[in-house]
Amino acid sequence: MTTLKITDLHVKVKEEPEHPEILKGVNLTVSTGEIHALMGPNGNGKSTLAETIMGNPKYLVTQGDITIDGESIKDLGVDERARAGLFLGMQYPAEIAGVTNAEFIRAAINARRPEDDQISIMKFLKELDAAMDFLKMPEDMADRYLNQGFSGGEKKRNEILQMMMIKPKFGLLDEIDSGLDIDALRIVANGVNKMRSPEFGTLMITHYQRLLDYIVPDFVHVMKDGEIIETGGAELAKELEKTGYEHLKAGDANA
Amino acid sequence: MPDLHLPDTPKIPLARYLKQAKDDTKAQASVVAPDSVKVSTDSTMAMTEASSLDTWLQTAPQSQTEITIPENYNDSTPIKIVGPKTTGGNVLIHVGANAHVALQERWASSGDMLGVSVELDADEGAQIDWLSYDAFDADMVILQRYARLGKDVHLNWTVAGFSHNSGASLLTTDLNGSGAEATVNVGVLASAKQHIGYVTGITNYGEKTVGHINQRGVLVDKAHLAFNGVGHIVQGARGSDSQQENRVLMLSEAARGDANPILLIDENDVTAGHAASVSRVDAVQMYYLMSRGVPEAIAKRLVIRGFLEVGLSEIADSELRDELFKTIDETLVNADA
Repeated sequence: MTTLKITDLHVKVKEEPEHPEILKGVNLTVSTGEIHALMGPNGNGKSTLAETIMGNPKYLVTQGDITIDGESIKDLGVDERARAGLFLGMQYPAEIAGVTNAEFIRAAINARRPEDDQISIMKFLKELDAAMDFLKMPEDMADRYLNQGFSGGEKKRNEILQMMMIKPKFGLLDEIDSGLDIDALRIVANGVNKMRSPEFGTLMITHYQRLLDYIVPDFVHVMKDGEIIETGGAELAKELEKTGYEHLKAGDANA
Repeated sequence: MPDLHLPDTPKIPLARYLKQAKDDTKAQASVVAPDSVKVSTDSTMAMTEASSLDTWLQTAPQSQTEITIPENYNDSTPIKIVGPKTTGGNVLIHVGANAHVALQERWASSGDMLGVSVELDADEGAQIDWLSYDAFDADMVILQRYARLGKDVHLNWTVAGFSHNSGASLLTTDLNGSGAEATVNVGVLASAKQHIGYVTGITNYGEKTVGHINQRGVLVDKAHLAFNGVGHIVQGARGSDSQQENRVLMLSEAARGDANPILLIDENDVTAGHAASVSRVDAVQMYYLMSRGVPEAIAKRLVIRGFLEVGLSEIADSELRDELFKTIDETLVNADA
């Protein structure tokens, strides 16, 4: 089992040091084998948390630490964190012309393998075909430029495809359900469920209970004003669906 | 001798360049082509003399090579033209009506001051794939390529500028016949202290003609690159289309890039558009690639290759593609050091 641990994490936007912190002391532990959902109102730091864990250079950690099995990753570059086992399914994946999807995924896999043991093209294509088939992605998406001209739904599916191919220890999924129709949502959820194993843990950011009907979480956390103010099981999300976040106050009891 | 003007080359000091004397060595370009193609050297071929630049380019000593591709010629194996090793030269290419031909030019000439002029005229219905690979090792090269297209001629032209010289490259296409179409893709990699300018122009004379320009340049070190795209639709060229995209990517603080789209439209019933940008490597793209575990150097290479790919995507010759990408990688490695 591998454990991702966030301790008293305070974060600011690097270019706005005079502005208040976005994260004000987040504590969270995600172990492989567990599915965590992170919910909460807009603009309260959920995406900032995911991006900071991944190492987005836009954010500055002013206090606290992020560790994997006790080793701090706070000072590692984003690519090193990825190779340490993190994956961030982004809310707005970048479009890159001229680089094909397949070429990129292969480069990402090979970055994790020693120079003299790169994945063979046959093996790679076989795995890619199987994963694309599972996600019901048309074949030509392998040869299309990375996210270029992809619809919102295609981009989300492509994030899951990359995760399935790269096989990280932790998948941080930032609103992987936004903009998806019911069928696409089911397919994307199937992809995440397929990865569910004792060697894989997830932190899913979502606004909707609907996603959690398909991917049943072990833990649900509510973030408000830069802190996790409540933690519970899957039933917490169902409760919030009825009550909303209004009644929860930052700084209140932490379950 | 009439008073000849210089072509308009914004941000490129052409007049100053032309004051220098050309190298006085003389050597022939070599041509590999099937027997049906007529190749003659030092013929008294008639090249255009419309500007002082033409005069400068044609002034002796200059080798002359004339290639005539017959009507209805049909062979997808490229005719290979290799420029002389230590000097420039003039090449005149005639493409007969309804010929289907692939041309591959390769220049790696060395020297101090070279003049290179390549003219192509194509008769009705010809279809031409033209690859110009420039890998000059000279200090200064003044180069002009001129294509004149007759009725319904289709030209698909890629210019790979991987040279080490400074100077100017003028790539001019005239769509004379109705229905003529040209796509001109230019991919340039400039490094060290190179100071180079491209003027890539297409003029729509005929009705229902289509001209598309795509220029992509990557700069490292202290290189300076100017891309001028000139789309000109003359009066009477009804139903014509002129589009262009000029983009420059700068990888170092000291590199300088210019992208100048110029549209000259003298006819109402046309479509035209342009896009231009001069930028640095996109931080958002880098973050995305690296978030999948790809190290910075490889991520950068992917972004740059991808950027140039748009200019070079039509190159079918896989060996040449590999060579170009190898050059890109080597240039980037050296620039990083």
